[in-house]
Amino acid sequence: MARAGGITNAVNVGIAVQADWENREFISHISINVRKLFDFLVQFEATTKSKLATLNEKLDILERRLELLEIQVSTATANPALFNV
Amino acid sequence: METLNSSANKTFPREPANFDEVSMHQSMLFSDSLKDLKNLRKQLYSAAEYFELSYSNDEQKDIVVDTLKEYAIKALVNTVDHLGSVTYKVSDILDEKVDEVSGTELHIACIEQRLKTCQNYIDNEGLSQQSLVIHTPKYHKRYILPVGETADGGNLTKLKYQGCSLDDQDDWNQFRNAVRATIRETPPPTAGKGFSPSPSPRLFQQYGKFSFSGTTPKKELDRRTVSPHRFPLLRTASLASRPTTPKSSRPTTPNKSRPTTPNPSNGRRYAAEPRKSASMRLHVDSINIKDPEQHSSKSKRLLKSLLSRRKSKKDETLYTYIDEY
Repeated sequence: MARAGGITNAVNVGIAVQADWENREFISHISINVRKLFDFLVQFEATTKSKLATLNEKLDILERRLELLEIQVSTATANPALFNV
Repeated sequence: METLNSSANKTFPREPANFDEVSMHQSMLFSDSLKDLKNLRKQLYSAAEYFELSYSNDEQKDIVVDTLKEYAIKALVNTVDHLGSVTYKVSDILDEKVDEVSGTELHIACIEQRLKTCQNYIDNEGLSQQSLVIHTPKYHKRYILPVGETADGGNLTKLKYQGCSLDDQDDWNQFRNAVRATIRETPPPTAGKGFSPSPSPRLFQQYGKFSFSGTTPKKELDRRTVSPHRFPLLRTASLASRPTTPKSSRPTTPNKSRPTTPNPSNGRRYAAEPRKSASMRLHVDSINIKDPEQHSSKSKRLLKSLLSRRKSKKDETLYTYIDEY
């Protein structure tokens, strides 16, 4: 009986260890996927920031060019003699 | 568990009609997904507390662990879906904005190009106007002949007046009156007095005073005012008139107005010109004296030959006389 009880205890410990390894494997898979998700989020942040910076630069250039055009048009409209050449 | 699946089981509203409704619908979905992502942290923390309590209190721990595993997998998948949709929408919006900015750049470049074209046009117009305003005549007024009074002189006058601004008739009338006044004032030297081969100093003075040597009668003078070569000048007008005037006509019609150009720098040239004109006049005078006698004798001989032609019918003598004539 004692030998049989020892065997069953060993089997239970083995099953518990196997389940523990399975749980660890599952947790590792989950953690790897979460880390991939984090890496994706970091990369997305970087690309979005670069795109936003490029867009901001283009908008600044456009704003300056529009200001220049507005000044030229306002100067031309303020001096109608230029159109009577 | 229920809160995690609530976003996936949402019922979508009806299909939008126009572009504004589509954009509003997309923006609403985007904001909902962002809210779900913000609430995901709280949901995960609450789920972890729930499973911890159930694992410690419940006796069937295997079932709790299996349920926890399923929940973790679903939570991860939902998070990936939410993040994918959000990032896709964000990148789509960014691309749209970049496209709009590039389109606006093209519009501004087009406007700038048009503005540059207008500026170039205005500059060219101003340059052309300035070049028209600064009109430098090619020749001086006194070197230009009047506008074509004869049919032959029409083309010549056109050639002479290219690039000149002397179309004013008043100037020409003044010039003509001045020339006529000088012609009337200067007494015409008679042909009988004759010219010596070397011109006298008085003659030089007369030439220097823009005078004409009037050997021709007044009728001839009036006739010559009509000709386009009335005042052929040495430097400029001769460019157009030289090729047209035949050389054979020079001895018969002496060019008396040549020395009329008062140019003191060409003194040597004027010193040679009067000699030439004087010798030509002597030759012409001698021709004019001898001409009537020779003409009468030749006409008599021609008449005689014609009369003798009827008698002898030999034309050899006639041809010889005609050749001589």
